[in-house]
Amino acid sequence: MRKWFAFLSILTLIFVFAACGNSNSTSSNGQEGSPDSSDSGSSKTTISGELHFYTSQPDEDAQRLVQAFNEKYPDVKVYTFRSGTEEVIAKIKAEQEGGNIQADVLLVADAVTFESLKNENLLLSYRSKEADQIPEKFVDGDGMYTGTKVMATVLAYNTNKVKNAPDSWLALTESGSKGNSIMPSPFYSGAAAYNLGIFVRQETFGWDFYKKLKGNEMAVAQGNGAVLKSVASGEKSYGVIVDYLAARAKKEGSPMELVYPKEGVPVITEPIAIMKGTKNEEAAKAFVDFVLSEEGQKLAAELGYTPIRKGVEAPEGLKTIDEMKVIDADINELYQAREEDKTKFGEIFGKQQ
Amino acid sequence: MYPEKSQSEGMTGKSASFSLSFSFSGLWKMIGFLLIILFFVLPVFRLIIISMTEEDAFTLSHYSDVFRDIETWITVKNTLFIVFGSTVVSLILGIAMAWIIAYVNIKRKKWMQLFIFLPFIIPSYITTIAWVQFFSSSGPAAAILNLVPGEWPAPNLYSMGGIIFVLGLSHYPLVYLMTVNVLKKIPPELAQAAQTSGGRKTLIFRKIIFPLALPGVASGGLLAFLSNLDNFGIPAFLGIPANIRVLSTYIYEQVIGFGPSAFAKAAVLSVLLGMIALTGTFLQWLLLKRSRVIETVKNDDKPRVHLPKAKRRCVEGIVWVFLLFTSFVPLLSMGATSLIKAYGLPFKPENLSLKNYQYLLFSDPKAISAVSNSLKLAVLTVSLSLILGTALAYIRYKQPNRWTKAIEMFVTVPYALPGTVFALCIIFAWMQPLPGWNPGVYGTIWIVMLAYFTRFLVLQVRGSYTALTQVDSTMEEAARISGATAVVKWRKILLPLLLPGIIGGALLVFLTALTELTVSSLLWSAGSETIGVVIFNYEQAGFTTYSTAFSCLIVLAILIGGLAFIVLEKFWLRKVMKQNDPA
Repeated sequence: MRKWFAFLSILTLIFVFAACGNSNSTSSNGQEGSPDSSDSGSSKTTISGELHFYTSQPDEDAQRLVQAFNEKYPDVKVYTFRSGTEEVIAKIKAEQEGGNIQADVLLVADAVTFESLKNENLLLSYRSKEADQIPEKFVDGDGMYTGTKVMATVLAYNTNKVKNAPDSWLALTESGSKGNSIMPSPFYSGAAAYNLGIFVRQETFGWDFYKKLKGNEMAVAQGNGAVLKSVASGEKSYGVIVDYLAARAKKEGSPMELVYPKEGVPVITEPIAIMKGTKNEEAAKAFVDFVLSEEGQKLAAELGYTPIRKGVEAPEGLKTIDEMKVIDADINELYQAREEDKTKFGEIFGKQQ
Repeated sequence: MYPEKSQSEGMTGKSASFSLSFSFSGLWKMIGFLLIILFFVLPVFRLIIISMTEEDAFTLSHYSDVFRDIETWITVKNTLFIVFGSTVVSLILGIAMAWIIAYVNIKRKKWMQLFIFLPFIIPSYITTIAWVQFFSSSGPAAAILNLVPGEWPAPNLYSMGGIIFVLGLSHYPLVYLMTVNVLKKIPPELAQAAQTSGGRKTLIFRKIIFPLALPGVASGGLLAFLSNLDNFGIPAFLGIPANIRVLSTYIYEQVIGFGPSAFAKAAVLSVLLGMIALTGTFLQWLLLKRSRVIETVKNDDKPRVHLPKAKRRCVEGIVWVFLLFTSFVPLLSMGATSLIKAYGLPFKPENLSLKNYQYLLFSDPKAISAVSNSLKLAVLTVSLSLILGTALAYIRYKQPNRWTKAIEMFVTVPYALPGTVFALCIIFAWMQPLPGWNPGVYGTIWIVMLAYFTRFLVLQVRGSYTALTQVDSTMEEAARISGATAVVKWRKILLPLLLPGIIGGALLVFLTALTELTVSSLLWSAGSETIGVVIFNYEQAGFTTYSTAFSCLIVLAILIGGLAFIVLEKFWLRKVMKQNDPA
């Protein structure tokens, strides 16, 4: 019996040591990487070391970005972590709680999320020289984060179900779409919470718009992915959805079409920022510069996104930033009011039974 | 080889037979216990600390905030209702299936068994969508209901009932697996004796079969209960549109909320959820107290209820129709989606292609490497859990005292927490488990391995424990009296008797680890992506057709593996049993 305890303990110990032994090398490397900046004086052109890149971009896009960056900076070893925006932020907060944020560079969905990190003093101020070519409203005034592309939230519809293309958000409040439209829930999707903040701060819409949506039996789903499936399959006819997902599905052949309503569209910009505790500031800065550079922006367009930099063409099927009518609001205000907005939304869309 | 009678103290068996040869045993016990604390308690402990601190000072204000919010109590009420309901559904289906497979003389049982597992393997988002389509106003259910006279609206799955239904269906295989081997171990003579004395079938079931099967039913019920409690995918998909929150989805809302207290609130709710999980464990202990072991027998695969041909056909038909609905419907919808060029196109020849499979197999190296990563992780997790889980179950069974009960609770909680919360706990705990000690597992594939092990060990413990409750202590005593060493005792007596149950537990660990999604999505690092991570990534990038095709490949591979397993198991059992059976 006690032998079992002994056996158990030894096995577990072996497991612990095996795990430690295996990874000690990588972790110590990471720590030694910190005095990088002092080396840089001697060899200015070579940027090297490790870079931990946390992102919510689709995996393939993140890989392409890192590949392109590595062509220019082959000595930087980039470790990518990809997950949903909410998951990435939760991970960073947990790392903070654990006492050591691993991420060097962060690229997730919306500016309000970055505003929250900025308020918690987690970001490093860095105004890239490339930021001059980017519309001022997408660059944080303190240089904490910079938008990298433009993703508009648009109105998508199933072409088998809807014959007359809508041109206004108000189509969602009309009888034709009653019980037939769907949008992501602000409780589960940061991008949806951002849109909520924008819409209620527009004169044309306000909270009244959401009350009418509720009255018109608007359905709420977990995220953009769920909206895409619902509209593509025809379960619902209309969906509020981020443009690149709808454009991609349409290109693949799904029976859907997207419109940029005439009142304007809220846009999220997938900003990029450097974490304050970065161990490789030089590589992090080079990475940010690259993403915002003409080359980086052309890559974004190639991957199917509207670039944010002036003078770079948008991919087929999407509008460029100049062609869009953007509706927006003060980012800090959106950040401050986020929880309150969600609560109000909850009150309109019904407390749970 | 089989003792005629045995003491009914099998459960509380203090009469255990061990050789106390180790003089430092107290020390080893301490070390073992401390390691369990390190692996299983520390992560959860950090969570509790977070729930009680604000700016590094102790406070209970998060608790009072959460408890004062009416929303919390509505959520708890919904959670209890849904978890209770779905566990009952799982229990009924699982026990009924187990009884039929164990006792009735129907044919092609192995095949049925394979399909019983499908709902457990197919990712829950696919199952859910399949059922939604099935019950939609233009789906097959509505068409069938139209044929029936009268007004029968198709049931709305976006409701409490819908969530209970899909959860219950997804987790009944747990009950089935834990129960079926126990049923086979009940000596057929007992029921026969009762029958000869004039006992009615329902009475026999209630008075004889059920009490004897309780250890399996309780274990399976507990696992189904915990799985229903921690599930996020199903209540998120069906509950969000219907405005129904359960604890797992409500916790997620808090985790992604802004502000300094968001995490703390999530932690408080997780503690609440942990309490519910522990209540489930207590209930299971109460149930087990009423169970009995009469004598030790090896699995008896021979059918006990011999139905005449017509009736047998009828039962076979019912089982297949049930499996058709619960397993083939999701499987077919998954297969159909995976063959379609673009999501949403009708299933017509001109829209079909194999390009999704082509992409996965030849264009994206991630898919292949994810399979190999997940396989490695699952095999490692299973090997570790097999040994440690069975050892823990053995210790728990032999020494049912406060310490071992505590250990049982410790290994249960990680499985009950929602995946997101558990992954966060693992991060808090393993970046710096003890002040000044950084083991460096974080950011490597080892953290995923460690998380799987911590989370899924309970599955093995339950499987092995259930098997152990079927072997009463006289077997070991007999071995000791005949002078068998511990090794011989295990190899020749215990293992052959325990094997089906242990393998059942290992199978659960393996399948769960292989397809795990939520925990991996927070813990993976470049190069260590798992099957779940790749599916999650495709889903999020809008490539539903790829993710479905990938799931199809995985399910197919598991089915093929299952077939191989059936063959191997047959071979192995025949061989081992022959060696050990003097008769």
